[in-house]
Amino acid sequence: MDAFVATWAPAILFLPLAGCLAISFVGPRLPRSASAVLGCASVFLAFVLTALVAAHVWHLAPYDQSIDVALGTWAHIGALNIGFGLWIDPLSLVWMLVITGVGFLIHLYSVGYMGHDKNYRTFFAHMNLFVFAMLLLVMSDNFVWLLVGWGGVGLASYLLIGFYFDRVTAVLAARKALIMNVIGDVGIMIAIFLMFQHVRDVSFAGVFARTGAFGTSALDWIGIWLLVGAVAKSAQLPLHTWLPDAMEGPTPVSALIHAATMVTAGVYLVARCHPIYDHAPLAAQSVAVVGAASALFAATIGCVQYDIKRVLAYSTMSQIGYMIMAVGMGAYTAGAFHFLTHAFFKALLFMAAGIVIHNLGGEQDIRKMGGLVKTMPFAFWTFAIGTVAIAGVPPFSGFFSKDAIIDKAAALGHPWLFAAAVAAAGLTAFYMFRLLFVAFFGAYRGDAAVHVERVATMEIPVAILAALAVVGGWLVLPGDDVFGNLLGGAFSDVLHAQSLAEFNWTLALGTLMIVAAGILSAYLLYVLAPQMRENAKARLHGLRELLLHAYYLDDVYHVLFEAPAYAIAGACARFFEPDAIAGLPRGLSAAAGSFGALSRAWETGYLRRYGLTIAIGAALALYFAFTTLHAGGAQAH
Amino acid sequence: MPAIPLTDYLALSAAMFVIGVIGFLVRRNPLTMLMSIELMWNAGNLVFAAFARSFGDMAGQIFVFIVITVAAAEAAIALAIVVMVFRRRVDVDVDDISVLRG
Amino acid sequence: MTALFAVCAVVLVVSALAVVTSRHPVHSVVALIVNFAALAVLFLTLSAEFLAMMQIIIYAGAILVLFLFVIALLTVGSDPVERTENKLPEQAGQAVIAGLVALGLIGWGIQADWAPSAARPPADLGSIGTFGVQLLTTHVFAFEATAFVLLVAIVGVVMMAGRKEIKR
Repeated sequence: MDAFVATWAPAILFLPLAGCLAISFVGPRLPRSASAVLGCASVFLAFVLTALVAAHVWHLAPYDQSIDVALGTWAHIGALNIGFGLWIDPLSLVWMLVITGVGFLIHLYSVGYMGHDKNYRTFFAHMNLFVFAMLLLVMSDNFVWLLVGWGGVGLASYLLIGFYFDRVTAVLAARKALIMNVIGDVGIMIAIFLMFQHVRDVSFAGVFARTGAFGTSALDWIGIWLLVGAVAKSAQLPLHTWLPDAMEGPTPVSALIHAATMVTAGVYLVARCHPIYDHAPLAAQSVAVVGAASALFAATIGCVQYDIKRVLAYSTMSQIGYMIMAVGMGAYTAGAFHFLTHAFFKALLFMAAGIVIHNLGGEQDIRKMGGLVKTMPFAFWTFAIGTVAIAGVPPFSGFFSKDAIIDKAAALGHPWLFAAAVAAAGLTAFYMFRLLFVAFFGAYRGDAAVHVERVATMEIPVAILAALAVVGGWLVLPGDDVFGNLLGGAFSDVLHAQSLAEFNWTLALGTLMIVAAGILSAYLLYVLAPQMRENAKARLHGLRELLLHAYYLDDVYHVLFEAPAYAIAGACARFFEPDAIAGLPRGLSAAAGSFGALSRAWETGYLRRYGLTIAIGAALALYFAFTTLHAGGAQAH
Repeated sequence: MPAIPLTDYLALSAAMFVIGVIGFLVRRNPLTMLMSIELMWNAGNLVFAAFARSFGDMAGQIFVFIVITVAAAEAAIALAIVVMVFRRRVDVDVDDISVLRG
Repeated sequence: MTALFAVCAVVLVVSALAVVTSRHPVHSVVALIVNFAALAVLFLTLSAEFLAMMQIIIYAGAILVLFLFVIALLTVGSDPVERTENKLPEQAGQAVIAGLVALGLIGWGIQADWAPSAARPPADLGSIGTFGVQLLTTHVFAFEATAFVLLVAIVGVVMMAGRKEIKR
């Protein structure tokens, strides 16, 4: 085992936890800023350590790059052996770098953004908890601890979405997110049960080494149950309805959890379980289809939404769909690459939007914005960079990663997935530019006073992310796949070639043309000729309503699940609880009382009655004594 | 002299014991009740002594001695209680003491 | 020997019945004295000489005299006959039944072949010497414990009955 990694990897994991505990227990006694310092410092240190460990690992030979740091046994019950350890390889390192790096930038941003909030300390404690749980998720070396991390990020998400707990909408959104996440947790648990049933092992090393022992049908089932978990956590169809509502949380939370990291946990899961998915074609196919469908689905909805954060939420769902589709097809490196670039530009978009919202006093409706190019130039330019990146315009990062996925879709022979991806790309360009134009261009349409505050701790992270959004894609250039090489050590034994070095120029150009079409239509409809937009709105009213209400899925779920649940709960509260449940102790006490009344009749207070009772008792005792004596007795009768 | 069989002593003591029991339960004068208790004890004493002779073991007789001693102590205390409870009453009837009723 | 036993047995049972059925407590005490006398004779037949003497001295001599004193204390000036109404009339029947059941059980229990382990008990069984030795060596703990019991009884009685009047 590699000593350097073995020493520092646990530190990476436990630093954010230490930060959370420090803020929770010591923070209240220190000034407010101390909590911020503790929170940011712990994540920053974790990032530095991750960078060092990554540099170390990437200098080793590729076949040496998967390091299992066993830290002990958690539980050993019969055949079930759950250890506690860390699995450090290029795949987990990419995720760790993003979690700690982008996480640190967002922590820094929160210092300014949440500066006026009364629960400042709690915020940083929760954020540190999230970083710890997410790191646990990606660093575990067995499925059980991955599930613990999985649940942990669900918890952190619940706490942070419901951060403004005096808002009913926030609390309900947090509850919705948690419930849907738990559905995913159950899926993963069932997958773990199946794994244990077949190979009596829950660690990565154990399961992946013995994929031959499962049989394709079992592997398919495991893959599908893992997909259920991924779908819930990554907000894919059909368990996506929690993500738009999760925008009730503060903007840094949306940036970190619901854009850059937590929602990508599903992608990580599928990529990590590539030995399973490589041998379970049905499951892999399902993954890819779900991803493509979600990408297209979300892109259509994003075209009509008018809350800036909701548009970004749907775009997150759409981009995650791309990643899921990629890993479902077997293009793991492409999916991981898009994860990296997406983390940059999505966090950037959210944070820039956050600056706008902050300066407008909390306004999130783009119909009430406009004319912000001159008033908020920094926000505008950074948001624009993010928009161009996500649309997939070269040489910005989104182009390289999206194209890699579309390339792979064509190369691996999936015509429908390819078509869906291209269509989604066009729509993405359209609605993101629509967002840019409507929010920033034209005249200011809002009522709130524009109070522009320039906070360094908010602007520096945004600037860094903007730079990364520009150059981040250059890790994969035509002919020079640096990223693919970096990840090669993790995907040494896969079905399809992972290299992203080959570049299909025709496809790239074709996609670019569709993207350009999207941008131009947005420009046409929202800047040049608003009248055309009005006509289109009137003619396509039905479609517009459908998209505005997200295909009415929320209402469908309400009818199918929520309403019956409330009805059952109400019935239980009105009938079952007072009579059956509460009646039981009441009945018992009544029975005890009547029994007492009965026995009281014997207590006459007369001495002689007591004497009679004793005599009867003695007679009975004698009887029993004699029967047992005679039964086992040695005397002849 | 031919020894009296053990069973005879046991039967005799049984009879005395039962007479004591019935007496205790039927009579209402506390002093008579106490005397019935004395009868019961003596029945037990007789059994112990009979077995001591039957097995040749002194332990039975020692125990009779102890029983007599404890009976003396108990009689003293019981009579003291009876005196205290019934000191001021005209009629001495145990059924009047039913404060523990209920 | 058998004749002696038979006579003592009859006296024992008759006097016991007399104790239980006498109306006047003093008559019960006298009957009990007769009972103890018969019992002492029975102890003699069981070669428990020391016990027989103890029975007379302690039981008949001390305890029953105590009884007589208490009777005198309690029933002075009144007719000590149970004249008040019987609050538990059914008790008598139940008591008799219970007693007979007990008698039956005991009777059934003692019907066994009690082979005596010592056909001829040692000659000095029950003599004062043997008694003393046994009491102070093998059973010394019981001896001491009994002394303690007596102490407790003395203390208790002095505390209870030594009081002048019960304050109302």
